[in-house]
Amino acid sequence: MTTLTHLQRLEAESIQIMREVVSETENPVMLYSVGKDSAVMLHLARKAFAPSPPPFPLLHVDTRWKFRAMYEFRDRMAEEIGMDLIVHINPEGVEKDINPFTHGSAIHTDVMKTEGLKQALDKYDFDAAFGGARRDEEKSRAKERIFSFRTSQHRWDPKNQRPELWKLFNTRKHKGESIRVFPLSNWTELDIWQYIYLQDIPIVPLYYAAERPVVERDGALIMVDDERMPLEPGEVPMMRKVRFRTLGCYPLTGAIESEADTLPAIIQEMLLTNTSERQGRVIDHDSAASMEKKKQEGYF
Amino acid sequence: MLNERRLEAVRLRLDGHTVAEVARQTGLSAPTVSAAWKAFRQGGWEAVPVRRRGRKVGQAERLGEVAQGTLTALLASHPETTDPAWSSSALADALASEGHRVSPRAIEHWLEAQGLKPAPLPLDGLARRRSTAGRWYRQQVQPVLEQTHKAGGGSWEGGVRVAVPAKSAVGAPRRYQLYLHGKRGALYTRCLASPPRADDYLALFDRLAAEAPVALLFRGALFQASPEIQAWLADHPEFHLINVPPNLSLGSDPKGR
Repeated sequence: MTTLTHLQRLEAESIQIMREVVSETENPVMLYSVGKDSAVMLHLARKAFAPSPPPFPLLHVDTRWKFRAMYEFRDRMAEEIGMDLIVHINPEGVEKDINPFTHGSAIHTDVMKTEGLKQALDKYDFDAAFGGARRDEEKSRAKERIFSFRTSQHRWDPKNQRPELWKLFNTRKHKGESIRVFPLSNWTELDIWQYIYLQDIPIVPLYYAAERPVVERDGALIMVDDERMPLEPGEVPMMRKVRFRTLGCYPLTGAIESEADTLPAIIQEMLLTNTSERQGRVIDHDSAASMEKKKQEGYF
Repeated sequence: MLNERRLEAVRLRLDGHTVAEVARQTGLSAPTVSAAWKAFRQGGWEAVPVRRRGRKVGQAERLGEVAQGTLTALLASHPETTDPAWSSSALADALASEGHRVSPRAIEHWLEAQGLKPAPLPLDGLARRRSTAGRWYRQQVQPVLEQTHKAGGGSWEGGVRVAVPAKSAVGAPRRYQLYLHGKRGALYTRCLASPPRADDYLALFDRLAAEAPVALLFRGALFQASPEIQAWLADHPEFHLINVPPNLSLGSDPKGR
């Protein structure tokens, strides 16, 4: 009898979840945020339905404030893998020019991410959406089920979740309900990196340490990715060797100082770290339990 | 080791072996054998072993806490001399005026222990290298340096960095270090508690520009993003600022990246 490694078990579980969703729902979609978890989720989806491409499109809810390297990577990947990529930007947010500097991280996230996602799901009538969230990222994600049911208004009720004993998933939806599905729920950040290394999965170069222009804001190292970033009077960005553990909107994503410019070096760094990757996300520090509040309102 | 072999060499010489034979048997050079033999004849067996060079461990000149605090405060300020930043001798003079007698050498050791002694850019031989760095040097740096030197000016190199304290400096805070290397790699530096602002860079540039024309090779800052510095540079055409591109491998790289 062959014994599966822990990564093979996780891979098998994720593939089973994806196949379950495709067989039980009518119009699934995969949320593609261009990060490392999305890269792994996309890789697993391609494995799950090989040799055909996955039978669902990719959806990128764009805020217009992602790193330039993310946009380049997203477009390259969409071209290479031949899947449909839907890019949705909240038109109301564009009209009001919502941005993290003028409106703050909370409003920016709510309008451009949460509302944008809800708009896209309604517009294309998706009844299931894969997300790359993991339990080890943040406490509200830790208690969320793999199959997370949302009301017709996309709200999440953390006190009303279905049991998932023995990995048996109840996929029955009430009328108007949709499901957010998290095939990577049981993966850790270290698992993700090990899997990326073993499977040679392409990722955005921002995950590797390199000299990048950064400014310090409230203890976070914020990369000056384009000329839209307003500098304080007299402020001069410093070139520092940094990398990102998580990627989001660049003004809201803190870099870490690191020398890890290869996958083995990143894995070694992960083995020694004792903080969550989400500590680099400004939006998670908005208020206590801010992620749970955002999730209740429809954030993925 | 060396002293045991020197003692063995003397024993062999006493047995009547020639210097060449003793050198062959002990692996020492002939002058070393002769020196050991001469020491024995002048001072007996006790004179044969050589002593360690330099000061004994723990006898180095140590900076007291007050002197270290004064140094830290001085490094955050501008020197009263016309130097662009603090040199070890200027720091020693400033400390002496406050009643601390410390040699420039001891200050250099302290800077090293604090992680405040960056190495100069490894530019030697870069012009001949077939690499990205070599091309950059030939195309962007060499013409400017030649032009500046022809006009009678000087050249500097430097940068800005976050200084990480050496392991021996337990509890030392992180500092933002502005540094320059002048002739023969002499270090001039300032250390700040927060990232340098345009005024800090411009104070440095102003001092360098006093002896214009001057060329400065600088790494570690994105000056293109600073309107204050761009305006200053536009007003000082004889100040040639060359930014070292990020992630440029200046060290010897067999792959030639």
